[in-house]
Amino acid sequence: MRQGYLYRFGSRGSKFIPYLLLAPGLIFYLVFSLGPSVATAGYSFTDASGLVGSKANWIGLDNYKEFLFMGANVRDNLEITLRTLLFSVIVTVVQTAFGLLAALLLDMRLKLSNFFRTLFFLPVILGATIIGLMWTLFLYPLGGPAQQLLGLFGLRSEFLGGPPSTVFYWIIWIQIWANMGITMIIFLGGLQTVPNELREAARIDGANGWQVFRNVTFPLITPSFNTNVLLEIIGSLQAWQLFLVIKGPTNGLNVLGIWVYALAFGRQSNNPTQAAMRQGYGAAASMVLFVIVLIIGLTSQRLLARRERRILG
Amino acid sequence: MKRKWVIGALVALFALPMMAAAEDVTLELLIHQNQALVDYINAFNPKFEAKYPGIKVNTSVVKADELATSTQTRLTANDVDVIDMFGFAQGIQPYMKKADKPNWQSLIEAGLLLDLSGQSFLKYYDTPTIKDAGSFNGKVYEVNTGRYAFTGVFYNKDLFAKYKVKVPTTWKELVAACDTFKKAGIPAITCGGKDGWPILVAGYGILLSAYPDQAALVKGLWDGSIKWNDAKSLDMWQKMQVLARDLIEPGASGIGSDGAPGRFASGAAAMLAAGSWDASNIEAAKPNFKFGYFPMPGSDNAANNKFIAGKYDVGWVVNAKTEHKDAALKWLAFFSDPGNYQAYVTALGIIPTQPTAKLDTTIGKEIAPYLSTFRLGYELLWVAPKGAGQWAQPNAAFFKPYNQFDDAKKLADQAQADLAAGLKAVQ
Amino acid sequence: MSSILDAPAQTASGSESRRRLGSKIVAMLALIFIALLYLGPLLTVVNVSLKSKQNFNLNPTALATELHIGNFAEAWQRASFPVYITNSILYTGAATLIYAATAVFVAFPISRKYVRGSGFLLTLYVIAMFLPSAMIPQFQMMLHLGLYNTRIGYILLFLVNPMGIIILVNYITSLPRELDEAATMDGCGYPRFVAQVVFPLVKPALASVIVLHAIGVWNDYATALIYLPKKAFMPITRGLMVFYGQYGNDWTTLSAAILMLMIPMVVLFLALQRWIIDGILAGSVRG
Repeated sequence: MRQGYLYRFGSRGSKFIPYLLLAPGLIFYLVFSLGPSVATAGYSFTDASGLVGSKANWIGLDNYKEFLFMGANVRDNLEITLRTLLFSVIVTVVQTAFGLLAALLLDMRLKLSNFFRTLFFLPVILGATIIGLMWTLFLYPLGGPAQQLLGLFGLRSEFLGGPPSTVFYWIIWIQIWANMGITMIIFLGGLQTVPNELREAARIDGANGWQVFRNVTFPLITPSFNTNVLLEIIGSLQAWQLFLVIKGPTNGLNVLGIWVYALAFGRQSNNPTQAAMRQGYGAAASMVLFVIVLIIGLTSQRLLARRERRILG
Repeated sequence: MKRKWVIGALVALFALPMMAAAEDVTLELLIHQNQALVDYINAFNPKFEAKYPGIKVNTSVVKADELATSTQTRLTANDVDVIDMFGFAQGIQPYMKKADKPNWQSLIEAGLLLDLSGQSFLKYYDTPTIKDAGSFNGKVYEVNTGRYAFTGVFYNKDLFAKYKVKVPTTWKELVAACDTFKKAGIPAITCGGKDGWPILVAGYGILLSAYPDQAALVKGLWDGSIKWNDAKSLDMWQKMQVLARDLIEPGASGIGSDGAPGRFASGAAAMLAAGSWDASNIEAAKPNFKFGYFPMPGSDNAANNKFIAGKYDVGWVVNAKTEHKDAALKWLAFFSDPGNYQAYVTALGIIPTQPTAKLDTTIGKEIAPYLSTFRLGYELLWVAPKGAGQWAQPNAAFFKPYNQFDDAKKLADQAQADLAAGLKAVQ
Repeated sequence: MSSILDAPAQTASGSESRRRLGSKIVAMLALIFIALLYLGPLLTVVNVSLKSKQNFNLNPTALATELHIGNFAEAWQRASFPVYITNSILYTGAATLIYAATAVFVAFPISRKYVRGSGFLLTLYVIAMFLPSAMIPQFQMMLHLGLYNTRIGYILLFLVNPMGIIILVNYITSLPRELDEAATMDGCGYPRFVAQVVFPLVKPALASVIVLHAIGVWNDYATALIYLPKKAFMPITRGLMVFYGQYGNDWTTLSAAILMLMIPMVVLFLALQRWIIDGILAGSVRG
């Protein structure tokens, strides 16, 4: 096969140059990212602890059997998996809606729009550590701002020190708060492609605001919508940095992302003697997450693409 | 003349490697966050460096729940020399089927811990400690520096005197004492609820009163003669619920384990449910603060409340692959020197493992009556069967407001079900 | 024509414009409400950073009456700020520069199909976000290469960003091929062409990719937690958490540290806003 029909740079001998210059970037990617990702599969079939000097034996599907079928692991790991899915669904739905709302509001170009846009996007660049600490402070149970607000209504909460079920919903909210900015910007980009004349024409025809949105705006921003939903689904299924910063691995709160880390690096138990690195087992958990992301990701992508074709032709 | 120069040059040439060998050695030390320990080590290392110029000690401090991870990763990467490791616990008993090896055993079998058998400094420590907390298969791998009690409760002597409350010796008396304080508007018991495990530890006193022989408890759970939902256990769960829900102050979930001693020392609460390791933190927060320590009376029968259980705490292990073996052993020897060790004991308020050392501080005096019957706590002995669920633990923090359970019987049944799932899976 | 279109608006002008005004007010209120949600935590950090410890313990929420600037000095010193910040700048700078240099040389031939299997290579990058976590084999590999607890090792882990490659590939397709042909006719070699012609032309997309990548490296916590246990190597994200772990209830100093970190980031953000946002938009237009 010929090498790129338009390549005409230099003499015969220099045909290799593009490959040569491509190589460093590609090699970094293969060695430090793609390669290890694929190797996770192989790892999952061993009982490797990860400790240097301890033998790793091939144990076939034993890790999967233990993770999915052994004793109460069925219930505990299923709980973690369901919690991951629940996290993803809520975050995706609410973040999309919130981001869309913010984008629509900003698209109206009211006063101070630039300030609002900057403010809402700010958390994206602050990162999980700062955001986690900031919210831990805001939700300080012994009289912090959130507690005082609740106090106005005669209520009280333990916030991030309470039962895992409460902490879970707070982390969901903080995750949405932190990432809404990106969703909003992508929607803003999409809204700018909607020609004003179309919206005006609809109004002239007697449509009210909601009808304009539903019949004109929303269909036309389908590409942005699809991008956002897909990014959020995949991102939220794999999310774990906020969990790590705010609480660390905790029974009753874990999602698959942080559970993989906990198993791999010996933080699955607070008891130092039981907390052993189990990297083979962790790799199996990682593969379970991968399968989930793959199935849900690809399915979502197909459904969204189909809808896009239907709407936009 | 020329010959002298040649000889001189040759000597210098051979001396150079020797000089390089006498260069600074940096000893990497890893410890966990215990303020008294951190302060002591920071004061101790300069003394060691002064005695052995050429050795520098670099200390890393990690949170207690990250210690296991850091230990494993840094041993694996061979960039640590001396590590603080809790006393060897949870050895596999013959009746524990298919149980996972304890982490320290895996480290030993992977050849990561240095065999310390025969080292001269071992002679300073008492034999039971060496055997129980640091040996495996007849060889010594850890030198354990002390024990802490964790089934007791600190109390504010002034507040008790002011409200004419006597040190409770039965559960009823404890509840009544807490009521007295609550009615006076004083939080009864404070605890570092934010970190989770302090509530767990607070409940251990109740567990001990229910099952004073903790080793027998472990065996009984494994062979089914003791269940988490039989009558005695149910009574224990109910008391744990009262502790978590009523006796420990609301808002404890906002207090970290490092903030609770300060809060107690400021007089904000009448009692503090914590291990004896917090004695030094209390003293640091408020010197001359008058406090005492009594065993948590988890039973209505005073005879069951006369014991204290605890754990072997800080111990030193050495990386088997260290390049600075000599320096590491010198450090351990200097640490174990009885003069230095006594200072360590006093600073940490730790129950000594050297027979010549004495704990003469406040906490030492408070614990002394119970030392002869000191026993290892449940968590040091318990190994869960693989496949046991997450609720198969006597954890007071499973109750609201720290977790989801608000019915003692439901939790009791759940705990037993989770345990049974594991026992069945390893048949 | 304009008069015809104007007519319907004019007849309904009264209620129409009132309705418009009404919805504008509602919208503004909504924006203000959301803004409060965002300002709340941010201003809390500012407030607490100015309080003294006793003041904070007494009433964590009350407005700081005295401006306790000492917190900042204390944070700078106790939280080892200079060490951590230097590390963060080093890692972010090095990783981003090297990535940027290699990225165009990867994206260009793929986009132009100058290498065999361009489509396959592009797919390799696209599937990156679906792949299982590389954490575990990566850790073992880094150990065996002796890169654990080294600055170089940590930087090596951030020379990769598939999303950036995809953005660049998309952008390069918009560059006219005539440029390439003109260059070959002038006898310009491939490396020179890419370095001197392509690089300047992809500046908008490249700038966004660089900024997004830099944000990712700067804000990393998990990878630093795993690979950099040595305090002297830690970036500021780890530094903050180490400080928090050791002085858990010392919120006043911690807030000062957070603020000192936030202010330069906010300033940089305001300056680079356009590129950051354009980059996200460029990435959202998928092929």
